[in-house]
Amino acid sequence: MNHDIDVKKLRVNCFRQSKVAGEFMIQLRVPGSLIKAKYLAVIQHIAETWGNGTFHIGTRQTLNAPGIKYKYVDEVNAYIQDYIKEIEIEACGIDMESNEAGYPTIGARNIVACIGNSHCIKGNVNTHELARKMEKEIFPSHYHMKMNIAGCPNDCSKAHFCDFGIIGLTIPEYMPERCIGCGRCATVCKKVATGVLELVNNKIEKDMCCCVGCGECVSACPSGAWAYSKQKFYRVMIGGRTGKQTPRMGKMFLNWVTEDVLIAVIKNWQSFSATILENKPLYLHGGHLIDKAGYHRFRELMLKDVKLNPEAMVAERIFWTETEYRSNINVKKPIA
Amino acid sequence: MGLQLTNAQFNQVLARLSAKYAIYAPKNFPLEGRYSDTDMVRYDGITQVEDIVFERKSDMSAKEIVTPINETIMFFFNGQVQESKIPQKEILIFARACDINGFKRLDDIFLRNSETPDYYYQRRRNKIKFIAIECPSQGWDTCFCVSTQTNDTSDYALAVKSTGESLKIEIKDQEFAEYFADFAQNSTCQYQYQPVLENELKLTLPVINSQEVLTRLKNHPMWKEYNRRCVMCGSCTVNCPTCSCFTTYDVKFATDSETGAGERRRMAASCHVDGFTDMAGGHTFRTSAAERMRFKALHKVHDHKQRFGDNMCVGCGRCDDRCPEHISFSSMIQKMHTAVEQIKQELNHDSK
Repeated sequence: MNHDIDVKKLRVNCFRQSKVAGEFMIQLRVPGSLIKAKYLAVIQHIAETWGNGTFHIGTRQTLNAPGIKYKYVDEVNAYIQDYIKEIEIEACGIDMESNEAGYPTIGARNIVACIGNSHCIKGNVNTHELARKMEKEIFPSHYHMKMNIAGCPNDCSKAHFCDFGIIGLTIPEYMPERCIGCGRCATVCKKVATGVLELVNNKIEKDMCCCVGCGECVSACPSGAWAYSKQKFYRVMIGGRTGKQTPRMGKMFLNWVTEDVLIAVIKNWQSFSATILENKPLYLHGGHLIDKAGYHRFRELMLKDVKLNPEAMVAERIFWTETEYRSNINVKKPIA
Repeated sequence: MGLQLTNAQFNQVLARLSAKYAIYAPKNFPLEGRYSDTDMVRYDGITQVEDIVFERKSDMSAKEIVTPINETIMFFFNGQVQESKIPQKEILIFARACDINGFKRLDDIFLRNSETPDYYYQRRRNKIKFIAIECPSQGWDTCFCVSTQTNDTSDYALAVKSTGESLKIEIKDQEFAEYFADFAQNSTCQYQYQPVLENELKLTLPVINSQEVLTRLKNHPMWKEYNRRCVMCGSCTVNCPTCSCFTTYDVKFATDSETGAGERRRMAASCHVDGFTDMAGGHTFRTSAAERMRFKALHKVHDHKQRFGDNMCVGCGRCDDRCPEHISFSSMIQKMHTAVEQIKQELNHDSK
């Protein structure tokens, strides 16, 4: 077997190195995590033809086939041409060449998303549609980026643990003339969210300051006195990460921004990365990239030429709270 | 004999009618549904056929027009009281048979339950005439109006059936013929209002024929599952065309004013919700979801009938449509029927 394999080049091609010498795992992107079920046949065919017959659901919601021998990489790349074309070019509208060379880059990772409001009763936004719009902005780029999209503040897709986490929000509208004064929205808000509603003489008063934008009040209401805002809003969490060094939860960068603002902001990600990395697309987690720049520099570059909507709020500062892997201050050997 | 008018032609009729009538119909409220990116269909004033939702059953019933969820009934100022005013216009409501029959139940409660009819209900009710909307041939999958014998109605001035681009119209109340005079020559067709004659759902309503059967049904284990399933939100009562309970409360316009200026409001109440009919001293009659469900169910298919002759439930199925926990009232009625028959057999057995 040829042992001269450029694994870094293969990784950029979305083939991950196996502990078995000469074997790789292909990762097919599923931006926003929803595709036609017919594409399962694509990964099944790859796994059974060139892989070891098994299928792995990627931790970033890719379709993975492990155990592909190096000599088959070109065949697999040729086979996935149609898949890449249909998903990236047709569904996401990306302007890229369709060829037999496989994925052009792994820089911007697959966009993770929950099922969102196309199915979920809690969802505020359509996560797949948003993911496809976002994919168009971040892929194909060699600059590293992990984006997760959650349909609501339950954050099942862990927007809190990625470079750029998006959470779908609503600012519910209250129609007092439809309110029966039952106070259920206030009870539910207190129980599952932040308790910003109060029943005062049979009508609701709201403390907008602490509203998380979940929309639980709307679905709790028996009489339709609450409605989701026609305008959809988003929260952006940045700098969350896992990993061996300093894992941490992301912190709030933007709150109550519209989709237009979100897209304008993400358009700046590549120039932000390029500026901080001096135009070299190094393999550096987004959180570390933000650390390298410093939050205020990050904010300046990411909000460049962005016109914020009136409701938008921007973090003045960020206090990171990292897991103290290095200090071990809270773990001790038990006393014998 | 009927008429068939294009939507545009019918809009001319609506324009003429609107001089005398406030016209209400089921209307779509985009994105106002319970879940994100879903719509709500409820009653509101309309000006054109295109405003009317024919293809979907409304989420909310037509009762909101005559018993608004919130209604200011009087104002106070310096020790004086003034009654609230309502619009002068007569009222026309596009409604389905279930809704029109629902008004009969509301009439039972508001106008016939005591010697004194309810003034605030009556002042609106007296203004109302109906335009019956013909339903799809079997209604919708949660409808059971045939089982409750509320599938048909004769209480309408006009009846309409939408074909999408046009309306077929039956003019029953000849007072309305003048509004259609322009079209009487050239737009005639064979049309007469057709009620739903069969639903997909076919129920047998329970017949509770003795106090003993009633007592045993009240204590029957069938209710227990609702302690687990029902969240006591009251959605099923808010959109029920026959639920009429309300509460009253006062609003002071300013707490620091010595004029006592304020208003008294009626607000819809629900027997599923905490606080319903609580008494001074804090006594609550029914605390559990199962007790509240039983209370409502018996009211709908027994108690009202005992007092007024007709079952209260009109089989519209809106309670099923709107329940966030997918509790089906029609299934409950079936369970009640089964339980009642079982109880009757036990009683027969006991008496032998």
